[in-house]
Amino acid sequence: MMYITELTEIIKHLYAWTPFLLAGFGLNILISLVAMTIGTSLGWVLAILRVSPHPHRVRWSLVVTEFSRNIPTIVFQFYLAFMLPAEMLIPSTGIILVFPAWLKAALALAIAVIGFTSDNLTIAMEEWKKGNHNAAFLFIPSWTSYALIIVMASSTASIIGVGELLSRCNTVINAIGNTQLMLPIYLYACLFFFGFCYPLTLLMKKISRIISSRLAPQLP
Amino acid sequence: MRIRLSTASLTALSLLLCAILFSMSGVGGAQAAENLPPGYKFFASERLALIKQRGTLIVGVKTDYPPFGMLNSSGEPEGFEHDLAADIAGRLEVKLSKVSVTGSNRLQKLQEGVIDIVLATTGDTAERRQIVTMIEPNYYASGVTLFMPPQENAKDWADTRGKKVCASQGSYYNRIMQQRYLLDLQMYNSARDAKLAVRDGRCIGYLFDNTAIMNDLTKPEWKGYKAPLPPALVTPWAIAIAAKEHGSDFEKILGDIVADWHRTGFLIEKEKAWNIPPSKFLVETQEIWQKKDAEGKPFCERGIDGNWNAECRNKVLLTSTDVSGLAKLGLKLNEYTGINLTLIYDQFDRTQFLLGLAATLLLTVICILGSLSFGVFGAVCAESGIPLLAPLAKASCELARMTPPLPSMYVVLFGVGSICGFSLPAMAVVVWCLCVYTGAGVMTALLEAAATYRIRQPEFHLRFFNVRKLAWLSSGSVTAALINVSKATMMASAFAVPELLSVTTSIITERGNVGVMMNALLLTYLLIIFCVVRLLRHLEQLVRERRQRPRSDSPVSPVEEENT
Repeated sequence: MMYITELTEIIKHLYAWTPFLLAGFGLNILISLVAMTIGTSLGWVLAILRVSPHPHRVRWSLVVTEFSRNIPTIVFQFYLAFMLPAEMLIPSTGIILVFPAWLKAALALAIAVIGFTSDNLTIAMEEWKKGNHNAAFLFIPSWTSYALIIVMASSTASIIGVGELLSRCNTVINAIGNTQLMLPIYLYACLFFFGFCYPLTLLMKKISRIISSRLAPQLP
Repeated sequence: MRIRLSTASLTALSLLLCAILFSMSGVGGAQAAENLPPGYKFFASERLALIKQRGTLIVGVKTDYPPFGMLNSSGEPEGFEHDLAADIAGRLEVKLSKVSVTGSNRLQKLQEGVIDIVLATTGDTAERRQIVTMIEPNYYASGVTLFMPPQENAKDWADTRGKKVCASQGSYYNRIMQQRYLLDLQMYNSARDAKLAVRDGRCIGYLFDNTAIMNDLTKPEWKGYKAPLPPALVTPWAIAIAAKEHGSDFEKILGDIVADWHRTGFLIEKEKAWNIPPSKFLVETQEIWQKKDAEGKPFCERGIDGNWNAECRNKVLLTSTDVSGLAKLGLKLNEYTGINLTLIYDQFDRTQFLLGLAATLLLTVICILGSLSFGVFGAVCAESGIPLLAPLAKASCELARMTPPLPSMYVVLFGVGSICGFSLPAMAVVVWCLCVYTGAGVMTALLEAAATYRIRQPEFHLRFFNVRKLAWLSSGSVTAALINVSKATMMASAFAVPELLSVTTSIITERGNVGVMMNALLLTYLLIIFCVVRLLRHLEQLVRERRQRPRSDSPVSPVEEENT
């Protein structure tokens, strides 16, 4: 009986804080979307350079790709948090340029996306040129799967003080002041990630299986 | 597809890197305090103009330090310092916006410009004055003591010698206490984490401000806990603004406000309102500031250099460090260029950094080996065909892949620790969680490779002895996963593991040399990752060469570069 009252107490707390935590998870998704957008566009440019006939461009693109693959995201997050000003007053215009912490986190994650896009899109473009359009389309499910990895990686933004899901969990625990609630709240947060990523992963697996099966007859 | 870089392009890359980093180090070096010539006038502050422009004063406050700064039952921030912040905003006739800061990030946030002022229990020390501008007069004072569980029996600071003591990253007293009493400090990110560590017996006590500890001791949660050691290093607290605001009208306005607080008794009134035990500091300071000279004018007045007269200032601050040899050279460089290479000339910093590097390398090696073993073990279980075991292994693999490692570290370290009633070592938890996450990635790669292999050999089942057969098919994805885990090791910094990132932030809070330290950190990490990548690719090559390459049209699993 004691157990049940305790459980309802925990569920009540979780329910009360759900909107607050959901808003935090929204920030995780926003960070990931921004990172994917910036990373994909820059990676695209690198991929175009990599399939170009000029050896010079190819080499530079390879160097930049290698660089973006090797930067650890968490260190780069810290780097941007420390080195990029939070806001700049553009002289004589009165416009304030703002770099909030979440944007810095997104920029850091975008670095990893650049490397990924450059590598995978190059393969896709080469397949496309050969006429294997279906093989080129494999880029889409692998891109989405990568986006989910970025969603999970966005939880590290809490280390530089972004108010995303994980740091909101800490805020909630501090506000309630009951350390017994820690485990349920952190597990609840993990559930958010799992609930979002798992169905999408299954979907992407299915899509790539469909594309691959269409691909099969083309193989010798 | 595999990319090989020539030595020439690598050299070009590193040169490019250096150029970028050094151009950026100028940004970081800008915080070196300018020594303005003494003058009668305060210059107009750009920051103050910015505040008026946006109509909001952004103040860094604490939310984990009751009753000075905390969250109330409805999640709203409040406290002694929050009232002071509101008073300042009111006097500047702008709105107040509060940003929650911690001991380790408050001065960085100020330097970054995220916040306009810091009002967050900041001790006014000579070292910090090199990084930021401290507003005089001081508004409060506190010392440092040890928050201890009932069973500990240290009675004097001497009894703590060589013992494990928990501390918060970025507190000014950490280094002095560590050197003076040879404490083995365990750095935590927040006060809450450090106190939980005390509860779990990870250390004999928590080194913290006596004001905050006294408040904690009144809570039922910490019944029986105590703080028997006499407060050491009593230090006044100051409002801090950016270093370049030194000598500005912004500094003057804030100084005048604090002076007024002392004269009118506003601080003592607020102290009572928040049920803080009366502080000797406030009583004495008020006495000085209310004093009038023979003509009835206030005794404390600004002199021709803009400073208050010496009797009204903080006397603790006139300390200087004895320097010679390499240190002198380093300080000279700092004076002329603003580049502060404490990392090279300061033995303490250098040792810390090298220890951090060793910890990071150790973490990397353990994580790589651990992930590989977890992955192989899991894959063999999943392929074993044993009724309960195989589906269980597959399900846990999916679960582990879809749970980010950082939250799972919180779950295991704090959640499981609080339920079982014993403490797990932080480093082991970090390694475990990273290995589980990456191991799941390795396992998926092996299972996919096994499925591909079955296209040719339908009766194939993965066992420990035939893992090698999959090496060629899975090595690309496996290598990518292992490279990623070596990049992720610095998550450990959030849990008091003294690796590179944690050490670097400690040095930055102490020295304020953000530019130099961040560049050193990034370069060191790039070097580590480059070495790890080289090594892993080399091993991958060896594995591939051992096996006869299958015919060229064999199916290749897509390269899954999970760079995070």
